[in-house]
Amino acid sequence: MRVVAVSETTADNEQVVRINFDFRRELAAKVEGHLAGYCYQCGACVGDCPAATYNRDFNPREIMLKILYGLGEELLVKDSLLWQCTNCYNCHERCPQEVKPVEVIISLKNMLADRGIYPEAVQKIIQTFEETGRTAPLNPAVDRQRERFGLPPLRPVPMDEIRALLEPAPADGGTAPPAAERGGPA
Amino acid sequence: MKRYAFFPGCLIPARHPAMEFAIRYTLPRLGIEVVDLEGASCCPDPIYFKSKDKLAWLAVAARNLTLAEDLGLDVFTSCSGCTATLAETYHLLQDATLREKVNQRLRRIGREYRGTSRVRHIATLVRDEVGYEAVRQSVVRPLAGLRVAVHYGCHLLKPSRVMQVDDPNDPSVLENLVAALGATPVRHRHWYLCCGKACQSEELPARMMRDLLRTVNEERADLLCMICPTCFGQFDFGQLKVARQFGEDFHTAPIYYFLLLAFAQGVPYEKLGFERQRLKPECLLRLESQAAGSGAVGA
Repeated sequence: MRVVAVSETTADNEQVVRINFDFRRELAAKVEGHLAGYCYQCGACVGDCPAATYNRDFNPREIMLKILYGLGEELLVKDSLLWQCTNCYNCHERCPQEVKPVEVIISLKNMLADRGIYPEAVQKIIQTFEETGRTAPLNPAVDRQRERFGLPPLRPVPMDEIRALLEPAPADGGTAPPAAERGGPA
Repeated sequence: MKRYAFFPGCLIPARHPAMEFAIRYTLPRLGIEVVDLEGASCCPDPIYFKSKDKLAWLAVAARNLTLAEDLGLDVFTSCSGCTATLAETYHLLQDATLREKVNQRLRRIGREYRGTSRVRHIATLVRDEVGYEAVRQSVVRPLAGLRVAVHYGCHLLKPSRVMQVDDPNDPSVLENLVAALGATPVRHRHWYLCCGKACQSEELPARMMRDLLRTVNEERADLLCMICPTCFGQFDFGQLKVARQFGEDFHTAPIYYFLLLAFAQGVPYEKLGFERQRLKPECLLRLESQAAGSGAVGA
């Protein structure tokens, strides 16, 4: 199907894609999310993309196109295709426009997080980090293993400091949770 | 001795202490003093937590870097994920606006990121500050006759503008480090493929790994050498899973480079924790008995 991007004033037409600038603004508020705007759809990111090679549904150029149209909401769903990105950085390497597609995809995942939609496995690792400051938590078995190699026990992470850093500031952009309103001195 | 702050990350200290032991054993023998970073947290990881909130991710990473800044030292990492996070943070925070946003958060805990500590992956630290020749001279039992395939992984090399480590299309640092041990590095056809760990799909990484491992088999490699604990997990337990899934014979033992270096520097095989690997680098035992025969073991 041939799609044409037009301004929001054009009459309804199923052949026409309306650009959703709200979506683009929300993405642009994320760190490096605005870089998608520089994409000129050359497709250099596709050839070396392992996810695209092994799954024809995954295509970084098409993801950037959806963003340019502001249609990224289609990607912000449970079990989103975005999670098939292998984070190999080949697209970042190849892009002549320095769009950093992988970073834009991560910014989209930040929007997924704002909407509370994570794969369970991802949520578990994030939770471990937020509770312990590590992604591989401490336990007595770990320290016994370390002792075998003459290594000292691991020390707990100063979580008061980490928690203070995780609290969003109101000026950070994106849809921060209500907790941000009573956040630290921003 | 040159002094560097050691950022060990999460996986190596908690899941692979043998790798940490090998780093602490080998580096002083190469003239590097390892300085611990008190109070360090997860880098945080560049896949999961970064996907939740990039700005918080930068703030926690910047806090880790300030620990090294306090000591006036550059940082080295032993995991490619930590390298990705910390090197990218160093790179991004050269932007004054972003640095100020991050410093706003750091002020809550009385810290300030200044950008005075560089981040190096341990492999490039050895290449640049020690040199291949010094590595060769530290070897007491050369790994002669061993064919070692090299898995670079992704985040040591890319994005090359940030990492500035090596040519991402034709790197040489790991081959040279392997050759310095007396082994023969081999390049399998699909050397550039990713380990697939970050992909939240069962099926896609399995097929990618199958194709990669077929080319490792073509090279008749004795070992598959790497510098990242995440890749290591994929090629240890993960390799067995893929072999079973596709009914193919994949059995090349993965090995973390600094364990191979520790072995070449004379640490006995049984002290390197290989019994915890699913695929054990038993080809090293042959070299150990040869070296024992000539009285060259110096552990």
